[in-house]
Parts: sequence; structure tokens; C-alpha cells
Amino acid sequence: MSATAIHVVRPAGSRYEGFVLAAATLAVIGVLALYVHERGRDESAEPLYEWQVSAFDTLTGADQAIYNSLYTVKDEIPFIYDDINQFNEPGVKFHWPNLQDFQDWLLPPFYRDTSFEQNGSLAWSLFEPLPEGEMQGSTMYLGTDGRLSGQGSFLLVIGHVHAGFTNNNAIVIWWNAQNHVEMPQSGFRDRLILQGWKEVVPYVGAQEVKRIFGATVAPAAESDTVPWPELPAEPAAEPDVEGIIEGALGE
Amino acid sequence: MGSRTRMFLRRLATVAVALLALGGQAADAKMLKVGITLHPYYSFVANIVGDRALIVPLIDADANPHGYAPQAADMIRIMSMDVLVVNGIGHDSWAFEILDAAGMRDKLTLIYANDGVSLIPVAGDPSGAKVVNPHTFISTTAAIQQIYTIARRLGELDPDNAGFFRDNARRYALEIRKLRAEFDTKIAGADLAKFRCATMHSGYDYILQELGLQVTAVIEPRHGVEPTARQLADTIDRINAANVNVLFAEKYFASKLSDTIKDATGVKMYSISHISSGEYTPTKFVDEMRENLATLATAILETSKGS
Repeated sequence: MSATAIHVVRPAGSRYEGFVLAAATLAVIGVLALYVHERGRDESAEPLYEWQVSAFDTLTGADQAIYNSLYTVKDEIPFIYDDINQFNEPGVKFHWPNLQDFQDWLLPPFYRDTSFEQNGSLAWSLFEPLPEGEMQGSTMYLGTDGRLSGQGSFLLVIGHVHAGFTNNNAIVIWWNAQNHVEMPQSGFRDRLILQGWKEVVPYVGAQEVKRIFGATVAPAAESDTVPWPELPAEPAAEPDVEGIIEGALGE
Repeated sequence: MGSRTRMFLRRLATVAVALLALGGQAADAKMLKVGITLHPYYSFVANIVGDRALIVPLIDADANPHGYAPQAADMIRIMSMDVLVVNGIGHDSWAFEILDAAGMRDKLTLIYANDGVSLIPVAGDPSGAKVVNPHTFISTTAAIQQIYTIARRLGELDPDNAGFFRDNARRYALEIRKLRAEFDTKIAGADLAKFRCATMHSGYDYILQELGLQVTAVIEPRHGVEPTARQLADTIDRINAANVNVLFAEKYFASKLSDTIKDATGVKMYSISHISSGEYTPTKFVDEMRENLATLATAILETSKGS
């Protein structure tokens, strides 16, 4: 058997071809990288602070269900406040909806139905704002002592601000990994953080729309500040009808 | 009656009809024309606006929104709208194709119903991946959140009726909450510890979570995507290992896959509506959610009786 002679034949322009191929490859990669940079979706999640927790990524099971109910409730509590105070006599202090009001409105997570029990039967309590001091303006609903293993506690804080006839509510939902928590002595953020509370941050549809379509078509993100119903900030004084008539008649 | 009189009456009638038509157009011109993409949004908008806006479904009632291919008529409809209510995070991606095709993408006001909904991941994903679940309309609480968002946005577009829209939204929200109270009455005394469910797809995660019920496994790896043989075998193993006794499948889209799983595991199968077919009606959402909750109650009661 004779050995087969192998002859490697190199093309005359191999160096040139190799250079052109490498350049073309780099050009394609470059164009694609530029396209992805300019038009690609930003899949990165918005960063959270240490004192925040994600409803979507971190909360699970009953805690996630309770949070999502609270998230809808935050839009409804101002309406109920409006309803229960609209026939107040002059001078009567406005009050926030209590837990019985929520029963009347069938409002989860407060309403005591099967889902309430399935989600751990949290013990809810209401703290109404004081007229003076640090707690002025902060209404808080605390849900604690859930009976499910590993269940945390919730705090809905409504910071109610009067400015003339304009009212606004900054509503924030907090979660604490502790199963039992006492009603906080302050509704201020820093105090709550020191006590182990974490602000729950939802992943809302507006963010998903932005992820899908990009920033150019995304609507403004939902604010946690909801418009206040058309209700006077304080009970109106009884109008002086006779005085108004006399004034109008110039007498 | 003489011919002149007849002629006069005919002309009078023509003028009257023309005036009525003009009057109607003038009245219509003041009303918002609110487009919707999915059946639940028809019901939501109808209950919010009452008779103070016109509702224009973007696609025909008998069209299946899953994998819908846009038609020429859709473009004509979309051009007549003042505003379009969309899910925006799934199920109606074809609406954006129609918007582009009609050159309306930057012209038509969109209401993203899910703007303010706190989304949840698809339940029971074996990989543990957190994938957004777009089925926010098969729910009660998430539906109410969308109703408030739609009412608020419509009120911004039609300030004169903003209060009317808000009051209607609140009344409708209470009507939806009463469905849950009815459900609760039906399952009074049931042992929910025995209820362990799987679902054919992720369509029912929101309502099950709202009712305090957990999903053990989801058969389809992604909505509308059938599992591979390996994935199906793994899912059947998980169903058996977790003693799942109920399987919820889609009411309107029959699947041989669900029969296969039923035969392999012995689970009882129940059908739940996706609320995505049939006539557009104001009561459709409440009617079909009432049926869905009744089905859930039946499943709970039957598992409660079992050992």
C-alpha cells in the first residue's frame, strides 16, 4: 500500500478573503448590536430599595392575594369616606370607614367570607388620625396575626393632606414579615422602615405595557395618589340664609 | 285627499325624517364612541357609560380573539372611534396591528385597562419562572380595578359625565362583589382542605387567587401552547403526586388534551368560561362570572364530599 500524498492548496487570495469575511461578520454583529441597543426591549426590572418588596416577585399565596385586594381598596376607601360623611351634621367630625363599613361594602380583604379565612383571617384594626402631633393626618389599617404558616402583616397608610379646599391622599401599602405586629406609633416612612416594615411595590399593567411596546407608547404610570371625592374638607357651617337674602337686597 | 295635499305631506314627512336624522347625528356627535377589544370590556364600558356613549366592538362577536387575524372591516371600525379600551398585556395584540394598518397608532386615544392592576405571575410554572399573567378580566377584584381605571379615563375625556361614570362604576363594582357573596353562600360548610386543582391554562389564576384557592399545576406551558410529551408526562406526575382532584378546562375551546389528563389521573373536569366569545352584551361579564363561580362552587362541594 502506498502512502497517499496530501497537498493543501491555498487560494491565491486567501488572506484577502479571510479579511473580507471577518469584516463582514463584524459589520453584521455591529449592525445587530446597534439595532438591539436602539430598538430592543428593556427587560430589566425597576430596581427596588432595601425597604421595598415586590408584590409580583416576592409575595406569594395569601400575602399576594391580600395585597392585591388592598391595592384595589385604596381607590375605594376615599369613595366610602365620602358616602359615610356626606350627611354629617355641621360640627360632626368626619370619620374614616371602619371595619363594619367594609363588611357592608363586601370589601376584601376585610370582608369576612371564605377567601378571608383561606387567606389567614388577619385581625384588622383601624387607627384614625389625631387632631395634633405626629399622627395628624395618617389613617392606618393594620392586618396582623394571620393563622397561615409564614404569613406576614399588612399596613395600609393613608396620608391625608388638606390644602385649602384641595384634598389629597397618599396611600401606601406596607408589609412586615412578622406574623404579629402592634399598631405602629407613627405612619411616617422612616419610622416604619426602622420597625421592619417594607413598602410593597406592585408590578402594574402600565409597566408591562412599557415592557412590551417600549416607552414611547406607554401610558403614565398609575400613581398611588388618588383624586379625592368632591367633598368639603371640613363640615360646612349652616348657611345664614336670612343674611344672604338681606345682603342681596342691600338691606 | 288631493294630490297636492299628498305631495305636501310627503315633503313634510321627508323634512321631518331628515331633521330627526340630523338631530340624532348631533346627539351622537356629542357622545364618545368607545371602542373595545374583548367581551369583558364591552360589559365594563356598557355599565359605566349607560346611554351616554356609544360602544363599538373592534372585531365581530363570533371572532375568536385568540390568534385573531385582522380584517378590513376592523380598520373601518377603528377609524370611527374616539377612544379604544384594550387589555394591552395580552389577548388583543391584534388591535395594535389594526391600529398600525389604519394609520391610527398615534391618533387614537387608548385606555389600557390594566394600567393600575397589580399583576400576578402564571401559577404552577414548574420552572419557577415569573411570567406575567394577562387574564386579568377573569376575576372580580382585578376586574373592578380595571372598571375604575376605565371610568376615570372616560371621565377625563368626557368631564361632563365623569361623576355619572364614577357612580356607575361603583354600583357595578358592588354588583360584581355580590357574585362573590353568592358564591360564599353556596360553599358554606365545605371542606376546602380537600380541594386541590390544576388548570388547563393560566386563565383562572386571578379568580382562584381572589377566592383564596391555590393552583397546583398548569398544563399548557404557555397560553395556547400544548405541552410536549415529556412536559405532559411530568405534569401528570405532579398532578398525581399532589393528589390533585379537580381540573379546570376552557368552556368554549374543547381540547383532547384535557381528556387525556382526565383519563391518566382520574381528576374530575369542570369547564370555566374565558368570557371571550358570543354576543357582546352589558350583562355578559356578570352572567358568565356567575356561571364560573357556580362551577367552582360545584367543584368545591363535590371534592368536599370525597375522602
